[in-house]
Amino acid sequence: MATVTAPLPGIQAHEEKTKLRISDYFKWTVDHKIIGVQYMVTSLFFFIVGGALVMMVRWELLTPTLDLVQNGTQFNQLFTMHGTIMIFLWIIPMFAGFGNYLVPLMLGAKDMAFPWLNAFAFWLIPPAGVLMILGYFAGQAQAGWTSYPPLSTLFSDGDGQTMWAIAIHILGLSSILGGLNFIVTVRNMRPEGMSYFQMPLLIWAILATSIIVVMATPFLAGGLTLLILDRVAGTAFFNPAEGGDVLLWQNVFWFYSHPAVYIMVIPGFGILSEVLSTHSRKSVFGYRAIALSSLVIALVGFTVWAHHMFTSLMPSLRIPFMLTSMIIAVPTGIKIFSWIGTIWGGKIRLTSAMLFALGFLSMFVIGGISGVMLAAVPFDLHVHDTYFVVSHFHFVLYGGSVLAIYAGLYHWYPKITGYMMDERLGKIHFWITYVAFFFTFFPMHLLGMLGMPRRVAVYAPEFQTLNTIVSVSAFVLGISTFIVLFNLVYSLYKKRVAGPNPWRALTLEWATDSPPPAHNFHGDPVFFSNPYGYGTEAAYRYLEEQEKELGPSYPKTMEPSTQAMAHAAPAPAGD
Amino acid sequence: MTDVSIKPVDAHAAHDAHSDAKHEAQRNDSLKFGMWLFLASEVILFTVLIATFLVWRVNNGELVHQVHEATGVFLVSVNTFLLLASSFAMVMGLRQIQLNNTGGLIKWIGLTALLGAIFVGLQGVEYTILSNEGITIYSSEFGMRFYAPTAMHGAHVIFGVIWALYVVMNARRGKYSSKNNIGVEIFGLYWHFVDVVWILLFTVIYLL
Repeated sequence: MATVTAPLPGIQAHEEKTKLRISDYFKWTVDHKIIGVQYMVTSLFFFIVGGALVMMVRWELLTPTLDLVQNGTQFNQLFTMHGTIMIFLWIIPMFAGFGNYLVPLMLGAKDMAFPWLNAFAFWLIPPAGVLMILGYFAGQAQAGWTSYPPLSTLFSDGDGQTMWAIAIHILGLSSILGGLNFIVTVRNMRPEGMSYFQMPLLIWAILATSIIVVMATPFLAGGLTLLILDRVAGTAFFNPAEGGDVLLWQNVFWFYSHPAVYIMVIPGFGILSEVLSTHSRKSVFGYRAIALSSLVIALVGFTVWAHHMFTSLMPSLRIPFMLTSMIIAVPTGIKIFSWIGTIWGGKIRLTSAMLFALGFLSMFVIGGISGVMLAAVPFDLHVHDTYFVVSHFHFVLYGGSVLAIYAGLYHWYPKITGYMMDERLGKIHFWITYVAFFFTFFPMHLLGMLGMPRRVAVYAPEFQTLNTIVSVSAFVLGISTFIVLFNLVYSLYKKRVAGPNPWRALTLEWATDSPPPAHNFHGDPVFFSNPYGYGTEAAYRYLEEQEKELGPSYPKTMEPSTQAMAHAAPAPAGD
Repeated sequence: MTDVSIKPVDAHAAHDAHSDAKHEAQRNDSLKFGMWLFLASEVILFTVLIATFLVWRVNNGELVHQVHEATGVFLVSVNTFLLLASSFAMVMGLRQIQLNNTGGLIKWIGLTALLGAIFVGLQGVEYTILSNEGITIYSSEFGMRFYAPTAMHGAHVIFGVIWALYVVMNARRGKYSSKNNIGVEIFGLYWHFVDVVWILLFTVIYLL
């Protein structure tokens, strides 16, 4: 491979000023870029932990009988920790990492509104994660990530369950502080002249997410407070035998956790809008529709919680919640159609980022359709607590959120590190992940409809064939993750310099060096009036000016295919 | 579509007095807005705890009346008055610093902290009395729903007292002035919030 013989002026300049050492990332700092990377690396670590746990779950489920674990309790601990870690320590903080890194840059700001609070919110996460894992030495939590009482109160003896609740409490506080920081930043730190409707769609997504975080997470905090009191102080909030109410938890928990599933996916929507538009060189179709539908989802998301409780709820309440749940498919559908409209007729470059974005688009639709199926009461009563549900939420959380995270990683890695990621490895990673993902989770639909309950270690022998397919695919999926982890590190050593704007994108985070200097921009950056105005003469001139200022957008050493992509950059999609 | 050039602006040149003032105004606005968002999330946290009481209260009115008759509301009324007075002290403190009187600020915020501390102390006395009558957190349907929200509120008061002392400490170092008192104002938002929550708790738990 070619080496960089003559460093480009812009790149050389930044290397002197912003060379960060590895140790800088392990220290308390208020720089949002370092905090963003800290979030991302921490969550990637927990992604591996959560992944390892589920590999054990799938190993156990290869056969209908117990083999890997000795008893049901151990199995319960495995999937409880898998779910909790993946949600609270991987997807939510990973998106917070993207938000932290990108929101100030996209707004042309020097930092978040409250840099100190930002650092504080991050540093709550590692101790909470450690506390949760330490539960293994005190009788780990085993009531599932939903932690329904009385399972989590009367039938969970170990202190791990209490530690679990405290850890979630801390993570919730971290989320709230991070969320209000985002809202204030978006409201007050926009560059002069940038209206809300000129913001990149990722910012809209982070804004909608943060509103949910600030408004919904305290419900969980309230519920957890009562749960901890039940476990520690001997109260009986959730024990009907002593005057408590067992449904109280389910209502409070889902009043948080249904909005929270949108916390876990709306930032992915934002990433998708950026990646699809940039890599198909076409303006986003229906900018306002995408921006506002996030807010609609955030709002309607608060009215659907009881669809998780169709089997425990008063029957008369089922229909209203069925209707609201189905209504929420409308704003989501608006997004999907807008994205298809965005890439339709575009100059699509199948970079790794784009492939993962397209993967999201296809797989998330399946998850959305099974979601509408589950919203229908008669169908839900049939498949409640079966593998159909497991399949549904993995299609939206893995096929949605995780693929969006991958798309984001490939898209912004050049900005964050200053180096290109290896595209060939990226494509290998995509295809293995995509296929293995499908064969891991699609057969679960069948298992669920055939009646296999979730959260069991022992199952009826006739389910073994499908379970073996699922497990083997899951192992491949697990291994495929190491390709991207390897790529992330390998590309750092390979040092293929990226240049300030390798994708020739129009949003502001690209209008500075890669990685950006300590104060993000040289002087005050000028934003382009339409963040997705690809293909216009004005966009072409804007990028030309940018090159004059910062040096070539991308280095001559880029792979031919990627280079072609960048060259084709400002051409209108139609020509 | 007119802005297509990237102006090479020197970051230091932009730092004149005007932009400093603007920057400070923006920062103050951010702090206040951030505090309001935080308080909004606190409202929701207390909503869960108060709703837990209210939903149960609807079906157990008799039991609540018995508790009310057995305990009376004298002590808690005194306590409520103290907390209201502390909010008044808070307002006076902010007014003093707006008049650039740091000494007045220290006195009034000190009084705020003192009244808050007495409130917590009397709450402890009340808890002891109730416990002696058999209303504990673990043995009474009323008890658990009573202690959870009031103790959560008490924790907020304790945090507020510590914050008030921190404000006093800053004031003694001369950190605040008539132009720069956002730190006091933010604390004031929090303290008034804690006060309002108490009025709600007092009404819902003791009076209804």
